[in-house]
Amino acid sequence: MALRWSGAHLPPDQAHIAIDPLSIAAFIAVAATFVRAIWFTPLERIQGPAQKIFYIHAPAAWVAFLAFGLVAIASGIYLWLRDERLDRFAESSAEVGVVFTTVVLVTGPLWGRPVWGTWWTWDARLTLTLFLWFIYVGYLVMRGAVDDRAVRARYSAVLGILGALLIPFIHLSVYMFRTLHPLPIVMKASRPSLPGEMLLTLLLAFASFTLLYVALLRARYLLAEERDRLQDSVA
Amino acid sequence: MPPDTISAALAIARKDLAIEFRTRTAFLSSLVFALLAIVIFYFAWDPTAIPALDLAPGVLWVIFTFSGLLGLNRSFGIEQSERAIDGLLLAPVSRQAIYLGKGLANLLFVLAVQAIALPAVVLFYNVPVSGGFAVVAAIAVLAAIGLVAIGTLFSSMAVNTRLAELLLPMLSLPFFVPIVMPAAQATASLLAGRPVAEAAAWLKVLLAFDIVFVAACALAFPYTIEE
Amino acid sequence: MMPDNAGYYYAAYVVAAVVYVMYAVSIWVRRRRQ
Repeated sequence: MALRWSGAHLPPDQAHIAIDPLSIAAFIAVAATFVRAIWFTPLERIQGPAQKIFYIHAPAAWVAFLAFGLVAIASGIYLWLRDERLDRFAESSAEVGVVFTTVVLVTGPLWGRPVWGTWWTWDARLTLTLFLWFIYVGYLVMRGAVDDRAVRARYSAVLGILGALLIPFIHLSVYMFRTLHPLPIVMKASRPSLPGEMLLTLLLAFASFTLLYVALLRARYLLAEERDRLQDSVA
Repeated sequence: MPPDTISAALAIARKDLAIEFRTRTAFLSSLVFALLAIVIFYFAWDPTAIPALDLAPGVLWVIFTFSGLLGLNRSFGIEQSERAIDGLLLAPVSRQAIYLGKGLANLLFVLAVQAIALPAVVLFYNVPVSGGFAVVAAIAVLAAIGLVAIGTLFSSMAVNTRLAELLLPMLSLPFFVPIVMPAAQATASLLAGRPVAEAAAWLKVLLAFDIVFVAACALAFPYTIEE
Repeated sequence: MMPDNAGYYYAAYVVAAVVYVMYAVSIWVRRRRQ
């Protein structure tokens, strides 16, 4: 299984399954951001080198919630228009979203442990992200357990919308819980104001991660489209 | 709400409860689970380090949640045999009536379990009975409504999948958290004899959740049993 | 005195890179297999 840059030499039905320019651009952008973050961004004096995890953690969190928001919107419009493409979009955004959410949940503790002394704090943001992950996983497991495409699309749409409704309630509950049982001061996730160099790195990270989301979303969507087309041709 | 929807819902609720009453399997399983949880939770902790009273709210709400799931599982499970659901769908009842009827049956099931589990916890965990109990009962009812609203909807979805018994708890539990957390926190505060005003904030969250999700689930339900 | 916690951030960057690359590869593999 040799890795080729384009599918031009492949037979027509395989020609399109190549690594497309968008994905290449996205991965280069993310790699460049990593390089800049590691070697060309100053260290933060108080948190030390571990602070650099923030350049992955925050942009990944942004994408995770963006992806979920889009799942919810696509779900709503699907129930209205019943266009299969919306269901495929939701499916793709959910799968890419769970990947980014996983990155948030792994980098979060890796950042929390050295900087605040514990792997996990049940603060509003982390807990919300954890629940996002649960909803995503439930969504994908449910999709995997339903064979009928129309039923699967409807169920997914219902879950997508209800999940979006749930998010503010989780946030509210955890916020109230934390107000009642506050974390020790040292663990308050305060975001330090970033000087120019660091801010630029962060912004580049947000941009490159968003580009990566779009590239992966597109690739995943094409997978879903090809699968459905195959199923239609066999039926 | 048109009167025929309500009477149809009541008829469906009566049917579901009659079926359950005949065998009582889900109800008895819930009771057994409740007793098991009460015993295990007590002996799993060091009673000198953690007074039983502190454990009580947690135990109570674990019992309510998981017994609720036991009951919810059978809510649409009973319609699977001989495709009974088709009969229900062909009958001249609105989809809303089906949701309300099954929801009502599930609610009565959960309330029945609560009615037994709550005194049991009071008994075994030496919970002092005080004025706050009326509020605890109100919390229990509000929470039951929320659990049932979510569970009835997800039960109708899960039953049509290959992983029904995994999916119902898997999908429901994230949604149960904004119910169980306020309920348990408020119960804990009331059982510890704190003023009702403290629990009031949690009650408001519960009420808001119930309003939003009963409406949302009732609206979503027809989409899950389309033909 | 800056804390010596670089190990954590190496781990984080490696994990992130691995996760993203493996996911992209998984899409590619699934498309080829279809």
